[in-house]
Amino acid sequence: MKRRTWVQFLVVAAIFSLYFQPSHAQGPTVISQSQIQQGSTGADWPSYGGTTLAWRYSALDQVNTANVKKLLPAWIFQTGDYQEGLQSTPVVVDGMMYVSSARSYVFALDAATGQLIWQYKHQPLSGYSPPTRVKSYGVAVADGKVFIATYDDFLIALDRKTGQEIWRVAVEDPFTCRCNMSAAALAVKDKVIVSGSGLRGFVAAFNMKTGHMEWRFLTVPGKGEPGNETWAGDSWKTGAVNNWFSGSFDPELNLVYWGTGNARPDFFGATRAGANLYGSCIVALDADTGKLRWYVQEVPHDTWDFDSNWESVLMDREFNGRMRKLLVHINKGGFTWVIDRVTGEVLNTYPNNDYINWVKGVSPKGELIGRHDVLENEPPYLVCPSNLGGKSWNQITYSPRTTWIYIPMYEMCNDIVVRPPLEGQPNYAGGGIWVMKPPPGHDNPYSHIDAFDPVTGKRQWRYEYKYTLLASMLGTAGDLIFTGDPEGNFFALDARSGQKLWSFQTGAGNRGSSITYMAGGRQYIATPTGWGSVSADIMSVLWTESEKWRMGSALVVFALPEESK
Amino acid sequence: MTKQETTMRAFAIATLLFVPIAIRAQALTPEQTLKHGADMFAQTCTQSYCHGSYGAAGGAPRLANRGFTGDYIEKVVTYGIPGTPMAAWGQVLPLAEVRAIIAYVGSLNGIVPSANSGPPPVLSGEAARGRDLFFDPMHLQRCSNCHRVNEKGLPVTPAISNVPGNTAALRSMATPRVSTATIDGQTMPALLASRIPKEIKLYDLTSFPPVLRTVPPSGVKLTDGSSWNHATVLGDYSDAELESILEYLRAVKK
Repeated sequence: MKRRTWVQFLVVAAIFSLYFQPSHAQGPTVISQSQIQQGSTGADWPSYGGTTLAWRYSALDQVNTANVKKLLPAWIFQTGDYQEGLQSTPVVVDGMMYVSSARSYVFALDAATGQLIWQYKHQPLSGYSPPTRVKSYGVAVADGKVFIATYDDFLIALDRKTGQEIWRVAVEDPFTCRCNMSAAALAVKDKVIVSGSGLRGFVAAFNMKTGHMEWRFLTVPGKGEPGNETWAGDSWKTGAVNNWFSGSFDPELNLVYWGTGNARPDFFGATRAGANLYGSCIVALDADTGKLRWYVQEVPHDTWDFDSNWESVLMDREFNGRMRKLLVHINKGGFTWVIDRVTGEVLNTYPNNDYINWVKGVSPKGELIGRHDVLENEPPYLVCPSNLGGKSWNQITYSPRTTWIYIPMYEMCNDIVVRPPLEGQPNYAGGGIWVMKPPPGHDNPYSHIDAFDPVTGKRQWRYEYKYTLLASMLGTAGDLIFTGDPEGNFFALDARSGQKLWSFQTGAGNRGSSITYMAGGRQYIATPTGWGSVSADIMSVLWTESEKWRMGSALVVFALPEESK
Repeated sequence: MTKQETTMRAFAIATLLFVPIAIRAQALTPEQTLKHGADMFAQTCTQSYCHGSYGAAGGAPRLANRGFTGDYIEKVVTYGIPGTPMAAWGQVLPLAEVRAIIAYVGSLNGIVPSANSGPPPVLSGEAARGRDLFFDPMHLQRCSNCHRVNEKGLPVTPAISNVPGNTAALRSMATPRVSTATIDGQTMPALLASRIPKEIKLYDLTSFPPVLRTVPPSGVKLTDGSSWNHATVLGDYSDAELESILEYLRAVKK
């Protein structure tokens, strides 16, 4: 090795040793330094999931278990778009923060002060009425542009510095597809990738410079294509498979991973006999061509609305004595799938939730054991977890320091009554009704955050909460796990013990994804606030207290006081 | 939450749950739409703290004789007014309900429903098939991605004015509006969308779907004519399907 290379190596090693010490709680778990560098954020929060590996983990440790109690608000930004709360994840690049709100508005802020630099207020198409409630989970920032996927199906590129529109493309014709986009766009090399819902869900890639569509992967295969035979008759035409959440990207494998929606009608499966590909799947797509490399169908022929939209977390870990490139994914049905992300081989599965009865179990290879389908002519039964999922879309975090993942879950069940879609009504309707109920033996639903070994599923600790936790987890090298609750508390847990170390009343329910970043030598922690969303509103059926959970749409940003950092 | 907001929210949830079952989407005449809108308005918008009987004002503002334009009414009814109890009914009610309320509030402001807002003309079997194909979501490259007919579809092009006589004419039709644009050294077939002193908006027709580019006038060179032709965007429609589509367009352009 040349001398200069040695020096570089030592410098890099020294930097890593500052914020990474092998976990004391585990055995000889090896997580390579290059993996840690690839999966962690630093000064910026460049992508929806932090990095494209979707760890939602930051290497910053200025704020840590020793000083977190001193955190104070540094600034607050109100979006003024109070519809559906603020369910977004801000992105931070070079000292500028970009956040989108429900009606596809985009705001660019000075990340240190919260000063508004520009705003983009999306004007929807005249006469367009969205098929579902509007929301925007965030933006992608790359190539000097901010990309927003709007609820009326446009992908729009804005100048990162000025907010001026550069190009826009109608990804779908929203008047006829009954679709919309809510997932944050994902920047992958020279492309920006979006996904959407409708009669035929899709994942599509557009050239960042020109807006030209490069590829489109349909999550329901067309006539004559492989997989179409898994739909009885013409049921594929209304199978939908709505992809309303964002995916992940492995730059080394050049693969994009996306979780897909469920087959429609949601609960009425009689007219769509078959496995219904690619519903409730993880699909691995070639980033350049969109060609399907492999898929894992977690729930074949889903009749519980247990889609696979949630995040795919990419990590390299030891499995049976060998380093494997893994994809860890939590299905709405309450199980985690551990998948080899090179081949699509399922290596392990494990249950997360306390109450699961739609299957007796899932084999380590991912096969459902003892299905209890919801059927039209059978008495309804209390299905656990509910169709909202054992976990909602609010994301987990993966800390390479503790080597654990942190999952927010809620224990809630529902009675599902299956009804065939009415004559003359579109087949993509739900095909049933449901009533939310507490799990057996409980007066109320409840929720919890659990730390798990992501590979084995061994539970490390649990934090319990009497209402529902619908905000994402944020992990940091300060060994902190940040999240918020509907009562308005934004709080920090000790990543190793689950003990609550700090809490702040933000004034509105938390239903977004907090982030952390560095500006001017100071570490900031920013959380969206404002209660809203379908899942949030359904809570009013269960708890009269939910009337107290404030709506709104604001970012509340914390830092240590200048003198104490 | 204020009482007003609570009422609005409870009402939104109630309508969300029950109204779609009560009302079937069906073609109504303008008069029926108006009547239905008046009923909906009386049952909902007039209630409690809101707009009062016949929009004469209650806790919420007067709506009658305010000189509102149709576009404004549509926007407010559909998207609401942020920060006020005026909800985005477009996200709560089925489209037919929203249309009916818009029509009624329009009538309070002297807007007479136009023939366009009435039921579509009765179509022959072939024309009806053509309509379904024009908007068919199973065709990823479909007519409605660029053409707007009867308030559906994307208005990339101006309204269709001349319907070609047959499929061959449709394939080879002249497209004089398509010019050639050069941006950053890249040449593309382009359809001018708008031009104001500080910016030009044009559709880049290089690939499908078309991309609307926004450029300063100094950043683009436009020349007349293009090698682009309509046949390249007809997707996977068969000749028979295209004939049906032409039949549909003839029927609605009568």
